[in-house]
Amino acid sequence: MFMRSLWTVSLAAGLCLPLWAQTEEKPSAEALEFFEAKIRPVLAKNCYQCHSSSSKFVLGGLSLDTRPGIRRGGNSGPAVLPGKVEESPLIKAVRHEGRKMPPSGKLPDAVIADLEKWVRMGAPDPREGSVVWTESKIDIEKGRQYWAFQPPVKPPAPKVKNVKWSAQPLDRLLLARMEAKGLRPLMDAGRATWLRRVSYDITGLPPTPAEMDAFVKDRSRTAYEKVVDRLLASERYGERWGRHWMDVARYAESVGRGRNYVTPYAWRYRDYVIDSFNQDKPYTQFLMEQLAGDLMPAASDAKRNEQLVATGFLAMGSHDLIEVNPAIFQMDVVDEMINVTSRSFMGLTVGCARCHDHKFDPIPTSDYYAMAGIFRSTEILSGLQRRPRDNVSYFNASLLARISLPAGQEKTAWLTDPEKIREWEDLNRRIEAARSGRFARMAQLKKNNPQARPQQLIRQEVTRLLQELDRFPLPKDLAMAVREHQRIADCEIHVKGDVRQLGKTVPRGFVQVAGKANESGFEISPGQSGRLQLAQWLARRENPLTARVMANRVWLHMFGKGIVPTVDNFGAMGEKPTHPELLDYLAIRFMDQGWSVKKLIREIALSRAYRLTTAHDARNALIDPDNNLYWRQNRQRLEVEALRDSLLMVAGKLDTARPAESPAMTFKRGFDLGRGIGTRPADYSVTMNHRSVYVPVVRNFLPAMYETFDFPEPSETKGRRETTTVPTQALFLVNSPFVIDLSKSAADQLLSNAGDGAGRVRTAYRQVLGREATQQEVEQSLTFVDAMLSTKAGAHDEKTAWARLYQALFASAEFRYKG
Amino acid sequence: MERREFLKTWGCGFGYTAFAGMAAQAASAYKSPLAPKAPHFPAKAKRVIWMFMQGAPSQHETFDHNPEFASAAAKNSDLIPPLFKFQPAGQSGVAISELFPHIAKVADELCILNAMHADSPAHPQATIQMHTGSFNFVRPSVGAWTVYGLGTENQDMPGFITVNPNGLGGAQNYGCAFLPAAYQGTPYQTRTGKLPNISNPELATDAQRKQIDLIQSLNKGYSARSGQDSEIEGIIESYELAFRMQASVPGVLNLKNESEATRKLYGLENAATRDFGLQCLLARRLAEAGVRFIEISHGNWDHHNNLKQRITQTSREIDQPIGALITDLKQRGMLNDTLLIWGGEFGRTTNGQNGDGRNHNNRGFTTWMAGGGVKGGMRYGACEAVNGSAVAGKVHLHDLHATILHLLGMDHTRLTYRYGGRDFRLTDVHGTVVKDILA
Repeated sequence: MFMRSLWTVSLAAGLCLPLWAQTEEKPSAEALEFFEAKIRPVLAKNCYQCHSSSSKFVLGGLSLDTRPGIRRGGNSGPAVLPGKVEESPLIKAVRHEGRKMPPSGKLPDAVIADLEKWVRMGAPDPREGSVVWTESKIDIEKGRQYWAFQPPVKPPAPKVKNVKWSAQPLDRLLLARMEAKGLRPLMDAGRATWLRRVSYDITGLPPTPAEMDAFVKDRSRTAYEKVVDRLLASERYGERWGRHWMDVARYAESVGRGRNYVTPYAWRYRDYVIDSFNQDKPYTQFLMEQLAGDLMPAASDAKRNEQLVATGFLAMGSHDLIEVNPAIFQMDVVDEMINVTSRSFMGLTVGCARCHDHKFDPIPTSDYYAMAGIFRSTEILSGLQRRPRDNVSYFNASLLARISLPAGQEKTAWLTDPEKIREWEDLNRRIEAARSGRFARMAQLKKNNPQARPQQLIRQEVTRLLQELDRFPLPKDLAMAVREHQRIADCEIHVKGDVRQLGKTVPRGFVQVAGKANESGFEISPGQSGRLQLAQWLARRENPLTARVMANRVWLHMFGKGIVPTVDNFGAMGEKPTHPELLDYLAIRFMDQGWSVKKLIREIALSRAYRLTTAHDARNALIDPDNNLYWRQNRQRLEVEALRDSLLMVAGKLDTARPAESPAMTFKRGFDLGRGIGTRPADYSVTMNHRSVYVPVVRNFLPAMYETFDFPEPSETKGRRETTTVPTQALFLVNSPFVIDLSKSAADQLLSNAGDGAGRVRTAYRQVLGREATQQEVEQSLTFVDAMLSTKAGAHDEKTAWARLYQALFASAEFRYKG
Repeated sequence: MERREFLKTWGCGFGYTAFAGMAAQAASAYKSPLAPKAPHFPAKAKRVIWMFMQGAPSQHETFDHNPEFASAAAKNSDLIPPLFKFQPAGQSGVAISELFPHIAKVADELCILNAMHADSPAHPQATIQMHTGSFNFVRPSVGAWTVYGLGTENQDMPGFITVNPNGLGGAQNYGCAFLPAAYQGTPYQTRTGKLPNISNPELATDAQRKQIDLIQSLNKGYSARSGQDSEIEGIIESYELAFRMQASVPGVLNLKNESEATRKLYGLENAATRDFGLQCLLARRLAEAGVRFIEISHGNWDHHNNLKQRITQTSREIDQPIGALITDLKQRGMLNDTLLIWGGEFGRTTNGQNGDGRNHNNRGFTTWMAGGGVKGGMRYGACEAVNGSAVAGKVHLHDLHATILHLLGMDHTRLTYRYGGRDFRLTDVHGTVVKDILA
């Protein structure tokens, strides 16, 4: 992470490390002995003060304390030319020919003779400077003792005193810990509160008044189960839990960074994720498809498409398309894939081992480059390319994967008008022509008009053509995905992350500490990237992390806090599990039930612990103020999606259908978003009525509401969102036209139904807060509506007055919590 | 709450006073993420005004007087000599280009860093790195770090405001990345003249107060049922803050009450200087209002050709406004504790390009600081005459960031945030405070 500065500095200074780093033969032992005895002390004593990388100012840009430094030299060129005594500036300087060094006085003749001899010998110099590479000192076997690398163990049934509280193993594991500390779990939340909580947690939407009535009246033993099963069967479930995963997968519809181009097909991955959750696809299958779907067998075209789209997971990263150096770009893309894969599925920060062994976890740099080999042998198809020569066509549809659409669909899917097709093809030809033969054309343009700036003319022409191309709808049969790279190879260790300092090559492989010694069954053959084997290795039951990490994510979204609170980091710098046995229980349960996320959610949702009130208890709070032991349910804030969807739903505006594609399909494709007229993405959170999961996530152009309500930065894995409280949230709720308009729509609906004022207040409370209004609240609300009508500039009609009431409910703290 | 009591609090206009007492109580439990925090050590500067010059101004025509370069350029046709004369200014005699007669008058306040360097010669990367310290990763902006470290003095105003932010890098330049959202910058466009959602389009203040009183009454009831949860109390407080912000922000942003003399001082009556003059005046007003970190922006400094003509224009646009800002802050006694920073994402080459143009140079460029704890009337560092690379007194942008935090009373190695398993810093593993320039 913090590793790139070395090469960036050298790159910036326009310096290239010389080839000798790889080619020069190792100096002989005698030569090195001579250097150590006669040369190094002289340099250190007389020169380093001004000419070393640690001196305050490296005078003349010359540092003599490393071989690269002495060979590359300073502002006036190399200090030493091996073998060429008379031409080496260092020798001239110590002889006081021209520049006189050291300035304090001439060195003794014998010392000068040593230096001359040394240069004549070829200036043997073992000082690697920044190219030092030391073997890892990490003891993998010892590292495996760490709790997260030990396989989960099914905990014995805990002994509890209050056996009547719950028979569920999950509850008893919690209760045993509470009892040990003298805590008593609080009472259950009221039925309405539980219903609101579980509806939000499973579907991200509040219960309707009808659902409330049905549940409160249902006194059967299975009332709770019926609700949970109904919610899990709803398609709204996948939309909510899919969005949780999209936080992890750093989902976005533009690439971000230096050239923020649209990725118009990202939505296919979005739909894939939602559908996968709705189908309750086994988590291991979900995992494998995302990492290696393109390599897995498929029984049908539809299944093949699905698996290909899944690999969009790897292509979704935020890459700096303006990066000058292709080697650096490639390794950055690789790094991004390592990061997202290791954090998402393993809860490990493998990316920290890019420049050095992981500082805290037993992950040697060689493990990083074992994985880097896998991902460098993988080609991403994001539709975007680094620095095209015309500096315009960053988006290129030919850099996407083709999926096969059903026969009928294909026809309607792409242009049907032959005239249009010709036009489109012609345009593509002209763009290609403008891009190629660039130098000949530049020369021609220059010849025709010596004043012209040909490069700019060509760029303008391509820009114009690309704009024309934007008029055509995009082909339908494309997707973001990955495929095996043409060049499949192991990766060299990049010393300190520097693409120019290549160390030994490491075979492709995985994070050793999360596997067993000499594990077999995952051998990578020379023609394969190893993604499939990586996916299989992660998905195997014996992987100590995979099930735990996902079970912990599920727990987080049901209780507002992970058992391991740092959900993306199970390493030493993460937090320890508050309930290790419970985590193991859940992980094993998860695996035993076929890696079914729905079943895991169901068990948690029906637990006693989940049902508890969020109320305060002074006695318990003294013992466990942060509720680490779950003596109550945590009070959880609505995420921005749940907040927005609820507003739309109460207003009667929510469109629960899935939108076709994404508005991103219509964005200008030839532009860095926001730079150029009409390229700034609109705020779709206020123009679309679809669920928030379908609002395009454009990097650097998040909807204002998303930024205000803690939507995570979509460039890196973020499994746990922040919850902040700032006045801009209050301002949004009381002043934004969006909330004001939705309040009016809600009031419109309310007034269109018959009923008296009190009944209306009750309805509004049920809609917004999911509970009955108290008599006092009814009176208070009616007084407020009257006051609005009678206040100057309060409300000019009844509808507006009721809208003001709705808005107050929307702005209330109670509405912003799940219950 | 009893109904009678309730009516008193929201129905009769006493709500606000009744509420104030409650908010004070709540404040004891709830701590706003923006509440002022003590620095690590006594601060020299309380706030920052960053004047960002997008496009990379040429140092050779502005603030880097280098006679050696001029004489080298006379002999070397690849180089373009400085196109404008420099004159010693102020008591210090610091040489300032003739393009800046107004800034020359306050030259004794400037601390000119002539050997700045950065890691990327591309505008977007360099702009993002100048703001966040990194172009490889999405990281919090220096303004976000500042507010995270110090909170903000006036809870009725945002802590970090960026005026007319430039398009390169977009929101990343004022974003909070992994820091909590409370620390992100608030963008403000002078052409719209208001912050988003800062006023209700339909409700007059007293009517809205009634609505807010109802909200707060609901909140108070909820809080009581929830056992005084500090997070809910935070929400309650946020409504009062919002209501106060509504009252104070438009006043701060409104320049109408400024005297004719002040408007003239900043050049508001002149088409060339109006835009940046407005921003400078706004910066002063925001600084007065206790905003912790203020960025103002000026663009169009990417002079690959027609340097002489174009830099004359861009310099004129900023000269009088900046001179006015420094003078104004000084006469108000605010220059001492306000740190001003002027500079672009990098500088320009000694070599010529397209006739009289200069190319990108991130190896050596000039940024200057003034006020809040830096020595005035000095230059620090130098670039090599021919290749234009920083050679002595080098200041990397990480060093600049470290120095800014130092002046604000923070140790850049101690201002950390734990994310993804490690403690992050603005300066990552780099940065050295430039001690020689500290007053």
